[in-house]
Amino acid sequence: MSLLTEGIKIWAFAARGGIMNRRNFFAMFEMFFWPLVAVFSVGLLTQFLRLDEATVSFVLTGALAMNTMQIVQLDISYALLYDVWSKSLKHGFVAPIRLGHIVLGSGLIGLLRGLVVFVIMGVLSVYYFDMELLRPGWLALIWFLIGLFLMAAIAGTLVISLVLIFGHRAEITAWAITYLLMILCGLYYPISLLPSGARWLAEFIPLTFFLEYFRSFYGFPASVAHPLEWGLLLGLGYLVVSYLLMVLSLRASLSRGTLVKLSE
Amino acid sequence: MELAVKAQGLDKAYRTGFWGRQVKPVLQGLNLEVPQGVIFGILGPNGVGKTTLISILATLLRPDAGEVAVLGLDVRRQAARLRERINLAGGATKFIWSLTVVENLRFYGHLYGLWGTFLATRIEELIELFELGPQRHIPFDRLSSGLKQRLALAKALINAPQLLFLDEPTGGLDPVMAQHTRDEIRRLNQLTGLTILLTTHNLREAEYLCDEVAFLQQGRILARGPIPELQARLGLGDQLILTFANDPAGLDYSRLPGLLSYQERLPVVELVVDQAELRLAPILAELQRNGNSLTKVQVRAVDLEVLYRELTH
Repeated sequence: MSLLTEGIKIWAFAARGGIMNRRNFFAMFEMFFWPLVAVFSVGLLTQFLRLDEATVSFVLTGALAMNTMQIVQLDISYALLYDVWSKSLKHGFVAPIRLGHIVLGSGLIGLLRGLVVFVIMGVLSVYYFDMELLRPGWLALIWFLIGLFLMAAIAGTLVISLVLIFGHRAEITAWAITYLLMILCGLYYPISLLPSGARWLAEFIPLTFFLEYFRSFYGFPASVAHPLEWGLLLGLGYLVVSYLLMVLSLRASLSRGTLVKLSE
Repeated sequence: MELAVKAQGLDKAYRTGFWGRQVKPVLQGLNLEVPQGVIFGILGPNGVGKTTLISILATLLRPDAGEVAVLGLDVRRQAARLRERINLAGGATKFIWSLTVVENLRFYGHLYGLWGTFLATRIEELIELFELGPQRHIPFDRLSSGLKQRLALAKALINAPQLLFLDEPTGGLDPVMAQHTRDEIRRLNQLTGLTILLTTHNLREAEYLCDEVAFLQQGRILARGPIPELQARLGLGDQLILTFANDPAGLDYSRLPGLLSYQERLPVVELVVDQAELRLAPILAELQRNGNSLTKVQVRAVDLEVLYRELTH
């Protein structure tokens, strides 16, 4: 197992993801249409409600986070779903690859697409709705993006695990999981507004702390002393757990025959 | 004799129902040995477990029990190493719809760690071998069934495997394309000595392609061996239907070479011989020597359907 061979296998999924995104209309739609809808609908709402600059930034941070995270997570999930939809799954898994190659390769493309979405939405938010995107500083912005990508990787691997176990029935999670997480983590509101049970859940999700970390620069206090550190610690822990879960799911899929059935 | 596949006591059952409480056994204590360098056919009707067996051997499905070694490697513990040396194609193989012929081959080549000029040369060789040149930049979903099948075979050879699994390789193809695919499979085996393990429910196809076959029934191998050997074991052979112009009384049937059995329905006599193409001339000579004359001679080759019927009933 040489580093070069590993790199080639990762590149296989990155290159395929790149081609698929270039050729498929819906991929372009995801990248441009929904982010534009999000930024304008939320931005115009903030104008209607005559929110101050800090609150506008608070709300638009949620819109930016959701669309950026979703696009990265979708790319990771699509790496498996493309094979499921085309019924070619077994041809990938009969080759000497690991799930890590799939996640890393597709994650690379997701990262690129996510950055494009973030930049487009960020520029529009700043230009049309006076969001102070750079008030927290470049370093905070980079940490925030790292947090979003980390969450997307966790969500993407969870979707892969669910598809490997439950097959087609679990496909819907590819689109639903980010929305669910966002609702719990305080998409356009502080988590203190959530019912107590939901707030308790939110405190176990790293995204809550990444959002709180970034919003703290606009004067909104975080619920914990060191939100970034908490978020990273939880996020890295979950990433390891979700990867292990994905490996176990593949094993279960190989035992139950799901992998073969998904190729028929 | 080196073995490409050795399976002993192989069991596999699927769990069905909402909680997976219903167990449907598919393979039950299956034993199988496949020598290297042959085209080996796993035969049986639909739903008998052929795809399950091939999926286990190709590391896509874990057996519940039993020992399975493919190319000397354990399918459970050494799956990663084994995957470097095998590949798979099927009758209705599908790839990602919007990738072209070259892009699909490049993608699968990358999965085997191939790249650069080596991969480019390999892709060109395969495109030439399967005459896919004019379609190299056509997306998969715009290829005809026959071209898709050729691409599937090309993909299956991208890593120069030592063992190729073909699951119903002509399933879903029209008769002309099916025959073309069979010719390609034979050519591959003859050209490269590649071991090919294929499943089929088409007995004529197995007859045409396979050096050895195994009949699968109720999760077990009923019989295994070269087709002529199985024929001899079951006393099945080609039929020679002779219509006599005169009474063949006095004909000593035991003197006829290769005779397995006979039935008199005068003036017609049906002989069952091991191999008609070998025995026809000496039998006719013997009849002539005996003073018999014939008005009609018919040869009916035994086919695998008869073999399968004999084995399963």
